[in-house]
This record gives sequence, C-alpha cells and structure tokens, in this order.
Amino acid sequence: MSKKSRKLIRSGVPAPAAAEPVVVPAQPPRSFYFLPEVEPVSVDEADLHELMKLWRHGRATRTIGQVLSDSYVTLFSVLLVGAMVTSTVINAQDGMTGCTTEACNASRLLLPTAMAFGSFALALGLSRLFGPILASAAEGSWLMAAPISRRRLLRGRLVLPLVAAFVVPLLLTLLVGAMGGMDWWSVAAWSSAAGFGSSALVALAASEQTRERTLLLRILQTLATVGALAIGLMVVAVAGSWLPTQAVAEESALRPAVVVLGAVSLLAMVGLIVATLRRLELIQRARLVSGGSLVSGMQGAMFALDFGLIRDILVERRAMAKGHVRPTKGRGLGITALIWRDAERLRRAPAAFLGLGVSLLVPYAVDALRLSQLNPLISGLALTAALVPFLGSLRVLTRTGGLARSMPFKTTEIRTASMAVPAVLAALWGAAAAPAFVGIASSGADRSVLDGVSVAVITAVAGLFGAVRWVTAGKADYSAPMMATASGALPPTLIFNLFRGIDMVALITAPVILGADPIWSAALAAVVFIGLRGTFNMEEMKAEQEAAQREMAASKAARSEKTRIPPPKR
Amino acid sequence: MVYGWGTITSMARKTPVLKIAGLRKAFGPVVIVDGFNLEVAAGEAVALTGRNGAGKSTVLRCLIGVDRADEGTVEVNGIRASETNPQIRRDVATVIDDLDFFPDLSVVEHLDLLARAHGIPDPDAAVDEVLAEVQLVPQSGQLPGTLSSGQRRRLALATAFVRPRKLLVLDEPEQRLDTEGLAWLADRLVAERDRGLAIVMATHEPLLVEKVATRVVRLGDRGRVIEGSGE
Repeated sequence: MSKKSRKLIRSGVPAPAAAEPVVVPAQPPRSFYFLPEVEPVSVDEADLHELMKLWRHGRATRTIGQVLSDSYVTLFSVLLVGAMVTSTVINAQDGMTGCTTEACNASRLLLPTAMAFGSFALALGLSRLFGPILASAAEGSWLMAAPISRRRLLRGRLVLPLVAAFVVPLLLTLLVGAMGGMDWWSVAAWSSAAGFGSSALVALAASEQTRERTLLLRILQTLATVGALAIGLMVVAVAGSWLPTQAVAEESALRPAVVVLGAVSLLAMVGLIVATLRRLELIQRARLVSGGSLVSGMQGAMFALDFGLIRDILVERRAMAKGHVRPTKGRGLGITALIWRDAERLRRAPAAFLGLGVSLLVPYAVDALRLSQLNPLISGLALTAALVPFLGSLRVLTRTGGLARSMPFKTTEIRTASMAVPAVLAALWGAAAAPAFVGIASSGADRSVLDGVSVAVITAVAGLFGAVRWVTAGKADYSAPMMATASGALPPTLIFNLFRGIDMVALITAPVILGADPIWSAALAAVVFIGLRGTFNMEEMKAEQEAAQREMAASKAARSEKTRIPPPKR
Repeated sequence: MVYGWGTITSMARKTPVLKIAGLRKAFGPVVIVDGFNLEVAAGEAVALTGRNGAGKSTVLRCLIGVDRADEGTVEVNGIRASETNPQIRRDVATVIDDLDFFPDLSVVEHLDLLARAHGIPDPDAAVDEVLAEVQLVPQSGQLPGTLSSGQRRRLALATAFVRPRKLLVLDEPEQRLDTEGLAWLADRLVAERDRGLAIVMATHEPLLVEKVATRVVRLGDRGRVIEGSGE
C-alpha cells in the first residue's frame, strides 16, 4: 500500500461520535370503558324499528328525480312484459281454436285443478325452505340476543307470506281457468280455493315452525305434488280419449265441494294464525336466521340476476342438510372417471328424475291442448329446467377455475365429458316424447312419423343445450364496457343473464316452429354445440399455437445443429 | 467429459421449473406488482413473504394463470403458463383460495376422482394414503359443506398431494391449520422439496419459512423485492 493510499484511508475514517441517548417512545395511556352499574331500562320493539328506519333514512343515496326515473323504467318494463304476455295469451287462444273436440275441451277444464294442487305443493315447498317466518342474520345476532319479545318483533312477518300465498295462486288459477274456457263461477271457486288453501298451508307451516316439526309438511307436500302430477296425466289421457270425458264434463257438479274447500281453508288459516301467534315467543333463533340468510344470499344473487347462483345456494343448503353419503368407488382412468362419476350421481339423487318425468308430460299435454306449433319451444324449455339438476358437475367445473385447473384436461374435454350423461337422458326423453310430436290427440296426427321424430330429437337437443348454457353462463362482468341505461351503467352480461338457456332453446327450435326443414335446426344446434363446449377458448388456442411454434423452432434448431462431417482428406 | 450421476442430478435441479420475468399487474390505477422476477429450480422451495397487500397472492395468481399479468412472462418447464393448458394443469398443483368442491361428492370421492383423472394406476391405495395423512379418514363420507374450515383446508392440501406434480403453488397453506397440522405440513413440504419438487408459497408462518424454504423473497410496495433474490 502506498503512502498516498494510507493517507487517504486515514482521512476517511470518521472521528468517534458521542453516544446519543436512545429515545423510547412513550406508550399512550390506555383507558377501558365499563358499563355503569345501573339496571337497564326496558326497550320497546317499536322504538327499535323506528330507530332502524331513521338510520336507513339518513343513508339515502338517491334523489327523488332518480327514483322517479327508475319508476318510469320499471313502468315501461312492466308494460312491455305485459304486452308480451298478452300477445302470448292471444296466440295461445288462437291455437286453442283447434281444440274443438269434446275430449280436448274436457281436458282443459282440469287445468285449474292441476294449478291449485301445484300451488299447494309450491306454497309448502317454499315455506319449508324459508321458514316461512324469517329474520335476517343481523336481527338474529343483534335483536334476538336482547331481552325483547319475539312475538311482538315477528308477528308482522307472517303477513307477507300469507298475502303472497293467497294472491299468486289466485291470479294464476284465474288466468288458467279463463283461458281454458271454464265458466266464471267455477273459475272464481277454483281460484279462491287455490288462494285460501295455499295461505292456510303457509299458516300451517308457520305453526309447525314454532314446534320445530316438518314431517306433516313433507307428507302434505308429497300428496299435493302427486295430486298435481296425477291431474296432469289426466289432462293428457282425457285429451287423447284414453279416459272417458263424462266425469270431467260434469265438472260444475264439483263446484259446491270446491267452495266448501275454500271456506274450510279460510277458517283453518285463521285458526292456525292464532295458534302460531301464541307460540311465536318460543320460536328458535336458528330456524329464523337460517331462512333469513338464505333470502339475503339469494337477494345478492338476484341483484346480479344470477339464477345459477341462487340454485347453487339451494344445492349447497340441501347438501349440508344431508351431510353424509355412503362413498362409492369410481371407475376408469382419465376422462372416463369424470363421466362415471356423473353416472353414479344418478343413483345418488333420484329426485331429479321426478322433474324429468314431469317434463315428459309437457309435450303430450301441449299437444293435447292443440298447441302443437309451439310444442318444441314449450317442451324444450321444460326439458331445460328438468336437465339442470343433472349438470351439477359441469356447473361446479365452470363456475370457478379451481377444480378444472386440478384436472389434466382441456376445457373442451371437460365440458364434453360433463355433457355425456345428460345427453343420454335427453336422447331417452326425445325417444319417449316422439309420439307427442307426431300427434296423439283424437283430432289426428300433426306430422309424419319421420318429421315427428326429427322434431322430438331437435327439441331434446335444444333442451340439453339450453340447460348447458344456463349452468355455464358466467357471472356479470363489471370490468367489461358497460351499457348506458336509464337505471345507470349496466354490464351487458347482466341483461343477457335473464335470457340464458331460453335463448338457445328459442334459437334451435325457431326453424321447426316456423315450418322450415328440421335440418336448419340441426345446423344451428351444431354451431351452438361448438360454442358451448368452449372450442373458441382464446387462451387455449393461443397456448396450442405457441406449443406448435415451439416444436417447429426446436425441430429447426435440431436440424441446424447436425454435425457437419468434413470430407476425407486425400 | 463424462458426467457422474450426482452431477447430472444437480444439473437437472438447476434447470428452472418456473421462470417469471418482468411481471406487472395493476388493478386500475393501483399497481400491485411491478417488474417482478423469479426463477425456481427443481428441489427448491421459495417463500414469498411481506405485509398484507404486498402482492404475494397476486404473484401466485398470475403464476398459475388465474389473473392475467399486464406485462411480463411466466413459464413452467419452458411452457407459457396458462390456466387452461392441459400440460400446465398436469404439472402444477395449486392450493389457493378459489378451490371449489362438488357439493354432492364426499371427501374420499373427491380424491378418488382426482387420482383417476390423473391416471394414477392404483388410485385406491393413493387415496387411502393421502386421506390417512391429512387425518380425514373419519370424515371420508362427509360432504364438503359440512366440514370445518380447517378440514376443508386439509382436503384442499390433499387434492394437491394425491396427484402427480412438478411445481407446487401454495397461498398461505398454514391458514386454519392447528399446531399439529402445521407441523405435518412443514414435514410434508420438506419431503416434497427433497424429492425434487419445486415449491412456491406465500406465507406468514415462521415455521414454514425456516424449515421448508431454501430461499426467502420478501416483497415490499408494488411487489418489489426488498430482501432475498428472485433469481
């Protein structure tokens, strides 16, 4: 080391500095709050409600102008939908002009009865699902924990389910009865019976809820469902002249019995409401909040018009109630294992076959009512609804990427495999429904056997693809460009969610409904299939393209690296 | 020159299984990760650490293709990582928050389905082993909706161990595990690493960092590496 370097090093060394005292930050003084030692005052439930209303009022985010604008949009939408329904009813009535035979007319008189039984089954099903008395999770954890009267808090909750259970069945039965050509006294009798009967059953469900019992409700729901199905079968059988029409034709003789049924239902409803109110103080919080959580979850899904999510919530809830299954071994390796699991599910959830069976009634009933032209559309939609429960694995594999990512298959392979079992069921449905598309009514055949079978196959395919579209449609994408509407910016997928499933059925069946050759429907179905199985997945196509480029580059590199052997020297 | 077996093995281990270069991800104006680089070779376990919001999970989500990176490349065994690429699905086992379960299939049926889908020749034996290891034998017939959150995490981990894999990607795998489960996980990951598997995990758990990680990368703001090396 040179003298210069040593000098430089010496000059760079800093002089030892005096040690600075370490400053320890002072801890802020803590204080703890305890309630004063006084007896709490009693609280009035009405005051609590008023307080909650006041808070909500302070949280208003829209002006009156915006609300009026939204109301205008709502009114416009209602008018539009109303016009569509009216047009459909008029078309249906036009179609029914073909219903001139005694058998056809007689079968139509059974429809309000089927509607009433269907209403009873639906009222019981929804009551069992939601409560019918329910409280939100927030109420469960904040209000129910406080020493307040549950009866006073909850008694108002019975009103909405009872009114809804009365009004909806009444209107639907009225509409069906009026369209079916029933006289007005009978229509009034059946509608009232359907309304009061459904309300009474909801009151019964509320009464049973306070006692934590469900057996009676399950039995009644089964009876109502079987009744509705039996009457649906009778509609078909009478229209097809397989059953005598006399019993149905003298339907007016039943009117007094129907009036009595309505009156008894009304009395039963009043009695059950009184009984429920007496026991309301004892109602369990878990049962109340469970229905409330379900409603809030479904509300969230409804805001996104995500009906698939609503179904997911219900399926998850059913699975949790079941809790345990007897495990079965899978079969096959690779993609076969996935298909086999779907087949295994058929045995595990036989209830889905009930829906499939009901959907098979639809084409026969529609044909019996001489709506043959619209039969592919109506039956296709019914099959779509019936096939959705069979597409559970496709739903799970497409709603989030987690499970699909853990399987070593292409998206197209996964989707095609998940459609295999439902496709077999749809094919069987098509074979069983073919006679309805040929024409079973006593007025004679609508189509040749070949055409009828073709239309049945087209309808089955449309139903299957409608169900596939319904379960695979993605969530509303709020990061995509929005549409400007009077209600604010909305993602286009949100609007299309309303029509998913229906769009595929309408598209595929449109040619046969319009009287074109079924080959056009088959061509459209082929295009739809290519889209639904995810063939145009841009990510996958890009990955495949890159893999091909990589292979090409590798083979080129291998060619260029060939050892050049020099010619032998002479 | 003749290579011995040991040399060849060590060379194979140096080949990067995962290569991330110049990764950038932003959500609107908020930049989560910018200019992130990482290489992980076979037999290496990299722990991504850092405070909440540092971008650990975002890096992992871009890595497996759940989120699309704005800039940069991610390659696994020389293949551009894409969530839908079957080769990537075959090679990369992941345990992140978006794992879903079939509501109507029991615990054991999930593992059976995965083992069969991956073509494991004796799926029953593999499933039994893994099920016993994650201590879910008593719950084998239960539906996933009825499992506790810790049991669900064990099932998620089991789905990664019941199938073949070359790269294991874990996002806070210690979540909801009890002390015993955490010790098991650490031992399991050490064994995986020693068998030549590449592991990338985001974690806050000191035990996993100390016992499993061969390299620790600490992320700061915008996913910048503030300690350790990505390469």
